[in-house]
Amino acid sequence: MTHDSPNNLDSQLIALLDRVALADQAALKELYDLTSSKLYGVAVRVVTNREWAEDVLQEAFLNIWRIAGDYKASLSPPMAWMGLVVRSRGLDFLRRRTSDRADAVLELDDVMTDTVAGDSPNPLDTTQASEQANALHVCLSKLDNKQREVVSLAYMRDLSHAELAEQLKLPLGTVKTWIRRGLEQLRGCMSRFA
Amino acid sequence: MNLLKNSSLMEQLGASYALGTLRGGARRRFETLARDHAPLRAMALIWQSRMASLAELQPQVAPSAAVWKRIENLVNADKQSAALAAARQGAASAPPTQGGWWASLGLWRGATAAGAMAAVLAVVVGANVNGGLNGQVNQLTSEVASLSGKLAATPAIEYVAVLADDKSSASMLVTFDPNTSKLTLKRVGGFKEQADKSLQLWALPQGGGPKSLGVLGGDAVVRLTAADRDVSEVPTLAISLEPKGGVPAGSGPSGPVLFKGALIQTAP
Repeated sequence: MTHDSPNNLDSQLIALLDRVALADQAALKELYDLTSSKLYGVAVRVVTNREWAEDVLQEAFLNIWRIAGDYKASLSPPMAWMGLVVRSRGLDFLRRRTSDRADAVLELDDVMTDTVAGDSPNPLDTTQASEQANALHVCLSKLDNKQREVVSLAYMRDLSHAELAEQLKLPLGTVKTWIRRGLEQLRGCMSRFA
Repeated sequence: MNLLKNSSLMEQLGASYALGTLRGGARRRFETLARDHAPLRAMALIWQSRMASLAELQPQVAPSAAVWKRIENLVNADKQSAALAAARQGAASAPPTQGGWWASLGLWRGATAAGAMAAVLAVVVGANVNGGLNGQVNQLTSEVASLSGKLAATPAIEYVAVLADDKSSASMLVTFDPNTSKLTLKRVGGFKEQADKSLQLWALPQGGGPKSLGVLGGDAVVRLTAADRDVSEVPTLAISLEPKGGVPAGSGPSGPVLFKGALIQTAP
């Protein structure tokens, strides 16, 4: 494995979150330097636009600054917890935007169709991944590109079967089948890591 | 079929629940069951945790350097307002309000004082280099230079802001001199409102609504009177486009925000 040892990074991030919870601004900066590329990647994935993703990243870090004390109770790998903060800020951003602008869905549409078209996989990246994320990566790698992409999109953008079908211009039945098969395979594979 | 005796079905539902594709009535029934049945609940939690790791696998993309600057500004404002709230006791339990149009993030885009000041200088210098020399540019250059000089040399100007549009082009230079209670605004961009519109200047206090500081006339330099307390402790100024003469007193901005920027204290 070429990535940083996850346990070392995890404990480093946890220590930083602890300090941020005590309003240590220098710790926030260290945390930002260590995680902003990964978390910006999450934001870009959720909102599909780099400028919006910067707003989302900014909101997420202000949020982390305010709620770092909640991290401990989550029992999650620190990067997963921060990833969730970014994802929910991103989803909020999309909801606000959709209510502001009727054409938001259209823009998203084009990006998403491009993503799934032509079998091009959204490359997964295990840099900075926790052990749990590495296991998930192993299992996701066994799925077809399209299955993996639809599962990943469903989660990252919180989309229903019908929304996925509409936005990817695929039959509803196809989406449901891909998701069901994808989850079945994941289930079998992940049980080996339990 | 008894769901709770079929562990693979239980797990499939738990995974769909965590993924978010289990919706509507099925989702509600799952939640009801999970509240009563620990194994089902555990399944859902395990899969929620696994799905959360999807975020860890997204490819890395480096954000622009401006993002940290903006976060730092927001965190500083957050700290200040927390300190203020503590000092004022009363609203001790109220967290700083977030939201409202003045807290929208675009407000901070590219508007760090140094960056915006550099932009003003770059615009002016660029115009010179391009041979677009005219008296106005020269005058502007010397104005900016002398202003920068004053900023560095004397504490006479206590606050300065460069208000920029959404493309970070500087459009208005604002200074406040508490000795005379004068806000001075200099138009540095080419923007000119239509004859039936006015520009209105707003203070955007942390945790409060926008407060009008006055309506701008059409001149290149506008002077407004403002009390020290209207300007101190205000992180941001903004200019909106309003009907001629501005909005009625007491109401908030009605038109779009054209320019905004952070208000920087240059002397204690």
